[in-house]
Amino acid sequence: MNEIFSQTIWLVPLYALVGGVLAIPWSPGIIRQTGPRPSGYLNALMTLIALIHSILALLETWHQPVKYLSFQWLHAADLNISFDIVISSVTVGALVLITGLNLAAQIYAIGYMEMDWGWARFYSLLALFEAGMCTLVLCNSLFFSYVVLEILTLGTYLLIGLWFNQSLVVTGARDAFLTKRVGDLILLMGVVALLPLAGTWNYTELAQWAKTTTIDPTVATLLCLALIAGPLGKCAQFPLHLWLDEAMEGPMPATILRNTIVVSTGAWVLIKLQPVFALSPLASKVMIGIGAVTAIGASLIAIAQIDIKRSLSYSVSAYMGLVFIAVGTQQDETALRLLFTYAIAMSLLVMSIGGVVLNNITQDLTKYGGLWSRRPISGICYLVGAASLVAFPPLGCFWTLTEMADNLWNSHPWLVGVLVVVNGLTAFSITREFSLIFGGKPKQMTVRSPEGLWALVLPMTFGMGFALHVPILLHQWGLLPEWDNLNLTVATPLVISTLVGAGAAAFIYLNEKIAKPIELKPKAVQDFFAYDLYTAQIYRVTIVFVVGLVSQIIYWFDRYLVDGVINLVGLATIFSGESLKYNVSGQTQFYFLSIFLGVVLFVGVVCFPLLSQLSFVTFP
Amino acid sequence: MQLEYCLLLAAALFCIGIYGLITSRNAVRVLMSIELMLNAVNLNLMGFSNFLDPTEIKGQVFTVFVITVAAAEAAVGLAIILAIYRNRNTIDMEQFNLLKW
Repeated sequence: MNEIFSQTIWLVPLYALVGGVLAIPWSPGIIRQTGPRPSGYLNALMTLIALIHSILALLETWHQPVKYLSFQWLHAADLNISFDIVISSVTVGALVLITGLNLAAQIYAIGYMEMDWGWARFYSLLALFEAGMCTLVLCNSLFFSYVVLEILTLGTYLLIGLWFNQSLVVTGARDAFLTKRVGDLILLMGVVALLPLAGTWNYTELAQWAKTTTIDPTVATLLCLALIAGPLGKCAQFPLHLWLDEAMEGPMPATILRNTIVVSTGAWVLIKLQPVFALSPLASKVMIGIGAVTAIGASLIAIAQIDIKRSLSYSVSAYMGLVFIAVGTQQDETALRLLFTYAIAMSLLVMSIGGVVLNNITQDLTKYGGLWSRRPISGICYLVGAASLVAFPPLGCFWTLTEMADNLWNSHPWLVGVLVVVNGLTAFSITREFSLIFGGKPKQMTVRSPEGLWALVLPMTFGMGFALHVPILLHQWGLLPEWDNLNLTVATPLVISTLVGAGAAAFIYLNEKIAKPIELKPKAVQDFFAYDLYTAQIYRVTIVFVVGLVSQIIYWFDRYLVDGVINLVGLATIFSGESLKYNVSGQTQFYFLSIFLGVVLFVGVVCFPLLSQLSFVTFP
Repeated sequence: MQLEYCLLLAAALFCIGIYGLITSRNAVRVLMSIELMLNAVNLNLMGFSNFLDPTEIKGQVFTVFVITVAAAEAAVGLAIILAIYRNRNTIDMEQFNLLKW
């Protein structure tokens, strides 16, 4: 069998990188004549090539044994770091998903960034992301996963900060970088601590090591907690979740990527490390706890938002929390499938919203209304995305959520409850968004709202088609259970929660009789969730305050104590010179006295041993 | 015990000279104090020459030289005092503190 495409799969990240580099010359400062558009076309082309390559490779690797490639990267003394690549249908399938979503986002951006000059920078960064994510899914080494995660953190900073003349963009980019960086740095501690314990960073070997090792449980727990911290920040889990909210200041096409696959990079590492996490029951409990708290908290926050992008971003945090739960309960296969179905659904939602935001200007949900008759395509895409996101049979996430709940049913029944609640809340949240945007009567901002350009609609409808085919694909791949084997005890509550959530939201928000800015009775509760549990304030009074205080103390210490001691030496020298000069009194007799005293002193010192022995002769 | 008395006298004279040297306001008296010190030295030399070296009396030769040099020094000193007096119209040592810090 010809395996040329799967053997050269490592070219896929390079296509994107080449596209990214080639886009740079169209920066406004370099090519001043033509405008920035060729950079976008070029990148879309490179992504298309990468997508075709991935699809061909996927056909080759289908039902084939997993293959490994390895390149020597660094060999120094005893340390031997190799860049390992794993070629399996899962990794190549992930490549297809990444390049496919990238192609969609890049075509989408051709429409969305119509009135923008910054294509070169934007597309270069999108390409950097594509290359980074492709490398991440291909590489089979924790070390290089970390390298890529850090590069993507920098990429996030630059991509969120695309329109850096807006002050909120600057603070958002800062927070995204620092928050993700903190998680990555703690991950680095885990990565570094893992090498002496396991002797390898290769995921496959790590899994084997984890099966046989007998390390101290405390060590295992600390190690696992450090390894969790990286994905914790990447996936915008509590308490490192504020960055995703602020990252919504960036351009919409980038949001497509961020909400679907960039946050999944952390989850990917988490899934790959699942055998190591199995070493520590406490780490699994922490993971489940974080996932559950984030899932419920973020879906509650999502309901209380009035900014459409932010409302979706909290649903992202919630679903990443579900992935954490899945990994914490050792269901890495289910977690991967959940990532797949979730990414398709969320990309559809964000693309639909992006088109609405683009020509209604506002992002405020309370200013939307009555778009269903004018924006049918966006509306249908949104509905399909929403139905795919929650447990709505027969679409994508129904199967993965049911599978997850089925696996949890015997071991952790209460987590099934969490799943049902999160599903219901998410259904409420996205139905609320749908009702506010597409339902009701047109408001001032939405009176005239045409459907977007072809470049916006095309990837969206393609995505919708794909989302509708996901169940068929899953069936083809043999990933769906038979109808008879379906665990109805968990599937029924999930579907009911979806229907209750969506029905309640539709009843409240499509009902003209209920006064529209809905106010909960204790206003404080509503504000509590609307302001994201006051996380910004919590950061400000805890970690930011402490770091600021410590740095001010250190600055003061350096400025006054360290500098002061050195300056004191200089001052003392100046002072002594200034005061000792008065010895030159100008009085000749004073000099005589000095000479006399000097001689007496000298003679005294020199003759002291002699004088001390001298015994005066007594006179008779 | 003649030598000790001689030396003690010379030391007393030297100290008186020092006292005069340091405390006098009149420049001529400073010179006079220097003469006292030199004479104290001469007394020492004579004493040592008499009691320790009666045969070769090198101390006495020293004394002769000291007297001549002291005479020359006093002459030059008086010349300097005269030169200052011409300029500043005083020989008060406390008026001569021009070369201070």
